[in-house]
Formats: sequence, C-alpha cells, structure tokens
Amino acid sequence: MSADGFAVRLEGVTKRFGKHTAVSELDLEVPKGVIYGLLGPNGSGKTTTIRMIMGILLPDEGRVSLFGGDPGETRRKLVGYLPEERGVYRKMKCLDLVVFLAEIRGLRRDEGRRRALEWVERLGLGAWADKKVEDLSKGMQQKIQFIGTVIHQPELLILDEPFSGLDPINQDVLEQIVREFHAKGTTILFSTHLMDQAERLCERVCLISRARKVLDGDLRELKAAEQRELLAVEFEGPDAWLRGPEVAGVEAANGTVHLTLREGADHQAILRRGVEAGATIYRFDLVEPRLHEIFVRHAGDGAASDAGVPRRTEGAAR
Amino acid sequence: MMANVWAVIRREYLQRVRSRWFIFTTIAGPLMMAGLIYVPAYFGQRQQRNERTLAVVDRTGVLFARLAPILEEADYTLSDEPDTAGAVQTLSQRVIDGDLGGLIVLDDQTLRSGEAVLYATSRPSAIRRISMQSAVARASLQAQLADRGVDADALMSGGELRVEMLTGSPGGMQEPRVAMAFVGAFLLYMVILLYSVAVMRATLEEKTNRIVEIVISSMKPWHLMLGKIMGVGAVGVTQMAVWAASAFVLASAALPAVLAANPELASLRDIGSAMPTAWQLLLLLGFWIFGYFIYSGMYAAVGAMCNTDEEAQQAQLPVVMLVVAPAILIAPVLESPNSAMAVSLSLVPFFSPILMWARAAAGAAPWWQVTLSFGLMAITVLAVAWVAGRIYRVGILMAGKRPTLPELWRWVREA
Repeated sequence: MSADGFAVRLEGVTKRFGKHTAVSELDLEVPKGVIYGLLGPNGSGKTTTIRMIMGILLPDEGRVSLFGGDPGETRRKLVGYLPEERGVYRKMKCLDLVVFLAEIRGLRRDEGRRRALEWVERLGLGAWADKKVEDLSKGMQQKIQFIGTVIHQPELLILDEPFSGLDPINQDVLEQIVREFHAKGTTILFSTHLMDQAERLCERVCLISRARKVLDGDLRELKAAEQRELLAVEFEGPDAWLRGPEVAGVEAANGTVHLTLREGADHQAILRRGVEAGATIYRFDLVEPRLHEIFVRHAGDGAASDAGVPRRTEGAAR
Repeated sequence: MMANVWAVIRREYLQRVRSRWFIFTTIAGPLMMAGLIYVPAYFGQRQQRNERTLAVVDRTGVLFARLAPILEEADYTLSDEPDTAGAVQTLSQRVIDGDLGGLIVLDDQTLRSGEAVLYATSRPSAIRRISMQSAVARASLQAQLADRGVDADALMSGGELRVEMLTGSPGGMQEPRVAMAFVGAFLLYMVILLYSVAVMRATLEEKTNRIVEIVISSMKPWHLMLGKIMGVGAVGVTQMAVWAASAFVLASAALPAVLAANPELASLRDIGSAMPTAWQLLLLLGFWIFGYFIYSGMYAAVGAMCNTDEEAQQAQLPVVMLVVAPAILIAPVLESPNSAMAVSLSLVPFFSPILMWARAAAGAAPWWQVTLSFGLMAITVLAVAWVAGRIYRVGILMAGKRPTLPELWRWVREA
C-alpha cells in the first residue's frame, strides 16, 4: 500500500485554532513496523497531531499522508485508532459494542463476534461481555475500547495516551499486547507523557513541546548522542570542584549529582579536582541518560539549559 | 460501504427497540387507546344506570307521552307513576334510598310555562339539568302546539340542511373525513417531530461522548448520518405499525365483542366506523416517510453543529418553527381547503406532510396536487440531505462554539 515505506508522514504541518497555534511546521516520519512514541507535555499538540493523521482535523498548512496517500476512508480502515477521549455507547452491551466496531471496519458479524469473544476472554472481561458498558469501571471500559481498536487487526495502531487511567497490572497487559502486535509487523504510534513507558517500548520517538518538534529519531541513537555528556557523581565533602570549564550544568537529585559535560570534556580532570579538594567519591560514572532527562532538557525551559547555568545549585548530599 | 451503513442502522434500531422506553410506549400506547375508549364509558354507564332512572308523576295526563321519547333518547329510563295520594312521598323515599335517580312532577303549571319540580338527593350537574329542563320545555311546547293543531314534531326535531354538490366544483369535503384529517395531521406532526428530535439527540450524544471519532475513522460521515436516520426511522415505522395494528384489532375484534357484551355502550360503535381506509393509511405512511426524511436531515445537522443540549435547544428553533407552522395552519386550511392560500401552503414541501395530508384526507386535494407535493418533497429531501450532509460532515468533529450563519454557509460550500 505504501509507496514510500512510511506508515505515517507529516510534512510541514501547521494547525491553528484561532490565534492559538496547536502544531507548528511539524515534520514526522513513522517507518513501517516500528513502535513510535509521540512525546510531549500536556497541551503540546500531540492529540492535534494524531487527529490530523486520522483525518479528523485538516491541517492549515502542510501535508499528512497515511500509507503514502491522503488519510481517506480506505486507508483509515487499516488503522486501529484509540482516541484520547474514550467515547463509548454507554447503553450497549460490551460484546455488542465490540462487534459493532468490528463491523464498521468491514469485518463480518460472525467473524467479529468470534474475535471479540477471544479478546474479551483474554483481557479477563468474559464475565462482563453481556453487561452494559456503563456498568463497567473506567479501566474496564478502556479495555473494551482497546479491543475495539485492535479487533480488525490493523496495520497501524494509533493510540492516544493508551496507558493513562490503567492500573500497573493492566498497563503491563497492554504493553504486552503492543509488543505482540509489533512482533507481527504492525506499526504502532502512540502518544504519552509517561517517559518510562516510552523508554521501555519505543524504537523511535518524537519530542514535541509548545507545538514544535524539538527532537526526533531512533531512541538508542538519541541516547548515545547524549551519553558522553552526562556524569553521575555521589560523594561527601566540599562541592566547589564540581564546577569547571568542562561542566555545562549541575543537577542534584536523591543524593546523586548529574553533571552535564561540554563536548570533548576531560572527565578525568574533574575527578582529579575532586580528590584534590578532599571529597570522598563513592560513584563517578558516565550514565546513559534516561528519556526523562533528555525530555526535560529539550522540552523544558530551553534557554536555561543552554546557558550552562545549573538549574539547582544546592550542594551534594551525604 | 453499504455494510457500514447497515451496521449503523442495525445498531441504532436494535438499541432503541430493546430500550425500556420503547417497549413501554409501544405497549402503553394501545393500552391507553383502549383505556381512554372503554374505561370511562363502561364505568360511566354502570354508575349512571340508577341515576338515569327517573320516576315521573304526570298530573296533566298529556306530557309524559311527549317527555318520555325525548329523555329516552338522552339515555334516561322513565317510569310513568300514577298520581295517587302519597305517591310523591313513597317515590321520594325511593329516591333517598338510591333506587331512583330522581322524581319529576309535572302539573298544569308545567303545561303553561314549562316549570316542573325535580326531587333529587343531590343537585344535578349543569348539563343534566339543562337537558332535563329543555326536554320538559319541549314537551310542553309540543303539547301546546298540538292543542292548536300544529305538527310541531318535524320542526322540533331540528330540521335538515341537505348539501347538493354541484358537478365541476374542485371537490368538497366529506364530513367524517375531516376528523380523520385532523387526527392524522396531529399524529404526523407528533411523530415527525419526535423521531427527528431523536436523530438530533443521537447525533449530539455521539458527538459529545466522542465515540464519533472512532466511528468516523472507519466510515464516511454521510454514511453515518444516513445510517442514523434510517435506523431511527425504522424504529418509528415499527412503533406506528404496532399502534396501527392494535388500533385495527381494537376496532375490528375487541370492539364488537365489547359491544355484544355491553349493549348500553352502543355509542362506541362510531369509533369503529371512523377507521381509516387502506388508501388513507398508505398516504399517511408516505407523508410520514417524506416528512421524516426532510426534518431528520435538518435535525441531524443541528445536532452535529452543537456541543450541548442547551445549544441544541436554541439552534433547533428555526427547524421547530417549520414544523409548528403547518400544525397551527391545519384548522384554517381545513376551513377553506381549496382557497389559493390553502393550496399553495400545502404545496410548500416543508408543510406538505401535514397540510397536504390534511387536505387529501379530507378529500379536498385533487390527485395531481398530491402527486406534485410528493415530487416537491422528494426534491427537498435530496436538497436537505446535500446541505445537511455537508454541515454534518464538518460539524460532527468540530468542538468549540456553535458556528454562526456565515460559518455554516462556508461549511456547506467548502465541505
């Protein structure tokens, strides 16, 4: 179906609501078969982006393509879409709702029913199949909705904040299912502001903040690019030695101080300075930055992180 | 693609038909019909049997014979009691005991001035007093006129005005059909409004709870709208069919049985004879379907462009006015159904379902006008579907404030 190998592609997409720009000049490429995370704080434009991909909103500028073409009805049928606002027909029986959703995606009734029963069993909702949706808890409703999203075995899953509102056990169940779809070759695009989840699941990410993309690419490469810059230090004693020409920023949390190094910095020089200053050093290692940190650094107050001014200056603990 | 629409119709239909509200109204409708007809008549009749038995002491000797037929026609049972000594006392006692509804004493004074005395345990209702009073007055008048050799009976019976239809006139109304026209028109008004509003509510609900995002991601908005309208419409047809069938059963099977068992309910026989013909039923169905398609399309668009019930209440006002206007015009149109005003109003497609029906059912609309109105309605259905479909398509996914008229126009042009 796709001519260019991308399941989703956005080129220079801008969307405004009145004076407010929700998405600004966004380029995004989701290759087929990957798990792609769309990350950003609340209100950064994730949902608007997803709605444009689904053809629910039309971009003011730029082009959105789905499997290499317009996000028209035929292509959208290949997508399993879980919107952020979880709408259900409250008065319907759970099973009927899922079968209905299967049917409008072009599945035959009996086939839809068979798959619905399998899924309902699998997610532990068997006893609820004949209950009305409104009798279920929010979390259970969300699982029913998730079944409705995947029942037609879509080629692309677009999940808007799929994990919010689920307890840890069900988050794991969902994560497991997402991995299974991934193993079968399904492309998965999901938005989240939970960095841990994204870090565990995603192969590629796109960080957006205030309607603009700040970073995107392969998660491992992004981390590798950041890695040499981050030093985790635990120590006792004076702390003045932490600052020096090679250090761009100092951040302390839970007894660990994270030093952001300038490019080409000699970390041995810092270590020597610490020993000479009389500090007892327990830990001194280069760490792989967590997505959280990458995110905070790029999406947070951009000006502050570039200026080399430590965001928190309170001295080391212990 | 049609499978999509079919799934929506199916869901909408089953969901509604299974709802308690539908089951209740569908069953309760005929029960209420039966109840409204039989219960008051039955109990009323039973309770009044004693009250309507009157004893008459006729001291003139000529009045009873004239009074009896008049009052018997009004469902009273009269007994002619001899004017023996103490008769008034014994009869009064029977009135007090409840055996008799009352005792009327007629004397020479009655013959002269129409005055009589009614002995009763309670003051009779105004209607009953007037009916008895006028019966006595008529009987006295007849007796007096008969004395002078005038045959008062024919004159007193009210006379008759025979209407001779002149050939070549554009068709007049037949009396019993006017009632049918009225009843049918109000039924159409109610059902069209009821089910069109149901389409609006369904649209609004889908929009506000956002399930529409999922549904629209799999089908064209136009198909969703079509499915909604057809599904809700099918529910309407089902309900009407159940009601029509039960009305038919009530009139054709239950009514004769009840009449046979309770001969005193004879007045109900008229209801049976007022049943619509098959042609009228077909016409009713036709006007309902076209009217429903015109209005449900508009209501779907209203639902799609609003976000809350309150907004929808306001936004539907122009549409409501289009339905209410013909309902208000039924009476004047039926008053002179062939005036230029009546003809042209009933040809306006938005009014036709109610006004053209009323004229056709009353027998006042020539066939070509009925046909023309269906043609015009068909064009209107398509036009409404086109415009409403466009508004729906944009509106259903739009959050935020309700569009202004210029914005609506842009939706229609650009969608």
